[in-house]
Amino acid sequence: MPTKNDNPTYLDAVSAALDAEMERDPDVFLIGEDVGQFGGAFKVTKGFLDKFGPRRVVDTPIAETGFTGLAAGAALVGLRPVVEFQFADFISCAFDPIINVLARHHWRTGDAMPVTMRAPFGARLRAGPTHSQSVESYFAHVPGLKIVMPGTPEDAAGLLISAIRDNNPTLYLENKYLYRRLRAAGPLSLDPIPLGQAKVVREGRDVTLVTYSAGVSQGVEVAEELDKDGISVEVVDVRTLVPLDVETIANSVRKTSRAVVLHEAAKRLGYGAEIAATIQEECFWHLDQPVVRIAAKNTPTPTSPPLEDAVIPQPAEIAETLRKVARA
Amino acid sequence: MAPRSRRKPAAAPKITDRDPQLLRRIYEVMVLTRAVEDRMVAMYRGGDLLGSFYSGHWHEAISVGAASTLRPDDYLAPIHRDLGAHLWRGMEPWQVMASFMGKATSPTGGRDGTLHYGRLDLNIYNLPSHIPANFPVATGMAFAAKYRGEDRVCLAFCGDGSTSRADFHEALTLSSVLKLPNVFVIENNQYAYSTPLRMTSNSETLSAKAVAYGIPGVTVDGTDALAVHDAVAEAVARARAGDGPSIVEGITMRMHGHAEHDPADYVAKELYEEYAKKDPVELYENVLLKAGVIDDDTVKQVREETRQVAIAARRKSLADPMPDPSNIEDGVYAD
Repeated sequence: MPTKNDNPTYLDAVSAALDAEMERDPDVFLIGEDVGQFGGAFKVTKGFLDKFGPRRVVDTPIAETGFTGLAAGAALVGLRPVVEFQFADFISCAFDPIINVLARHHWRTGDAMPVTMRAPFGARLRAGPTHSQSVESYFAHVPGLKIVMPGTPEDAAGLLISAIRDNNPTLYLENKYLYRRLRAAGPLSLDPIPLGQAKVVREGRDVTLVTYSAGVSQGVEVAEELDKDGISVEVVDVRTLVPLDVETIANSVRKTSRAVVLHEAAKRLGYGAEIAATIQEECFWHLDQPVVRIAAKNTPTPTSPPLEDAVIPQPAEIAETLRKVARA
Repeated sequence: MAPRSRRKPAAAPKITDRDPQLLRRIYEVMVLTRAVEDRMVAMYRGGDLLGSFYSGHWHEAISVGAASTLRPDDYLAPIHRDLGAHLWRGMEPWQVMASFMGKATSPTGGRDGTLHYGRLDLNIYNLPSHIPANFPVATGMAFAAKYRGEDRVCLAFCGDGSTSRADFHEALTLSSVLKLPNVFVIENNQYAYSTPLRMTSNSETLSAKAVAYGIPGVTVDGTDALAVHDAVAEAVARARAGDGPSIVEGITMRMHGHAEHDPADYVAKELYEEYAKKDPVELYENVLLKAGVIDDDTVKQVREETRQVAIAARRKSLADPMPDPSNIEDGVYAD
């Protein structure tokens, strides 16, 4: 099912997937702050209120715990809520219902709570310490949640469709820096992309770069540059952190024998630690070098451009690290 | 605007104008609740249970009085003082005992336990420890009913201590703004674990909080099953008619500790003495005896039958198997 737009943005892809699922399944509804009349803070749901009406596009008070719990209850009795957190930074206000209600209800009771939680996250918009956070690691530790972090418009569409159809509480993290900066190569497919399948987005011989979300386009750009110096980088987009496709990562590392992990979240106990440890468990005897992590510094994300740039991984650091690991 | 909170509900119907079968059923479930909980207190003391036992002594009038206003297809989101509401719905006493023993036959198969039980087939939500986390969930079940154009309601319980939490406020805000078919019952037993009400709320009553949400709120004697029943029935009718949520506060006293491990010696002796004279089960029994709805023989029969149910429930749950750990990783995710 291709969409009309020839080169849709990452944001268009999220909108198109939501629209398609709402058309397909009358049990799907949207709930969150400013999602209706205003069309969402980033305009992902622009026009949805007119098209689907206030019954299915629900503006809420500023009450993240409340509407996340509401979604849990509605899902328990058969609806398929899609919750929007205006910024991923505000998801901490809903930690209780996510951790204590949603994540463990199926394991405790056998009854499913299929809630999709969308949240724009990430840095590079100069938005500062409480509007730029990467929140994936807070939740990756908790059994019972799935975590989806698309890095391309194509994946943004197909993975969101799968997330909504999935019978589990799923955190779908949209990189807000990519919203209007990344365009699809052509018309979008709105076919579901299964959760739990990583993708080799660029083949290479010398070193594997394992990454996700904004790290994918960033990594591919750097890889193209390194190619000119004869360094061949394979880029693996994990796409879903939970479940993690260990096999695709391990196959790539067994081939290149070197691995670098890249993400925008802070380094300490970032998801890269899990990936690096998994590579070590699966591929120890294939490795020529220790696995290296590239991540943000262990500080909050600053606002001012020179400060933020000093904290968040930059292309030069990524290139230098890959070069070093590939040639060592 | 004057507070819409008030002490007494609208004029109560005379006992002779009420459905005698309903009156009798409320009585039986209240007595059964007491019998099962008395038995479980003994089981705690005898070492049958895994942890402590959270009892609902003196909550029977609120729990059963409220639950008895619902249809079976209405949703219920109870807390740990609401064995009465569970039994009203058809939860088996042995299942509750099995939950407190971590048995394979408990509603969660031993994965969760003690007071965390529920059954979706009975439209009962199984809550986590973080009360009133069940309040936002209750708004969701009510939302689903409204979304589908059904006239089901969702009744949720919390305690006095719960009213301090953010999820209480957020659930009430959402439910009132979205006009959801909710009824929120506050079981005011005057203590949040060891902390007395005067240290957890500066409100004159807990139902007065309803004023802030622009919804009705009423405080009733929580030891009076019919007073609770009538107030909740009015709130349920309002919710079912599409007029939105209400708060009903029932005042009672927690006559045991927070749980059985807690001697609750922080409670003034006078308060226990005052409420010892207000046993909700005895009070209701006397109302029915006086009105001739039941007689002494019925009392003897119901008391003995429920005692036997509790004994049989203990026998069964004790004999039930413990869970098999080999499948512990199954079901973290739904298919």
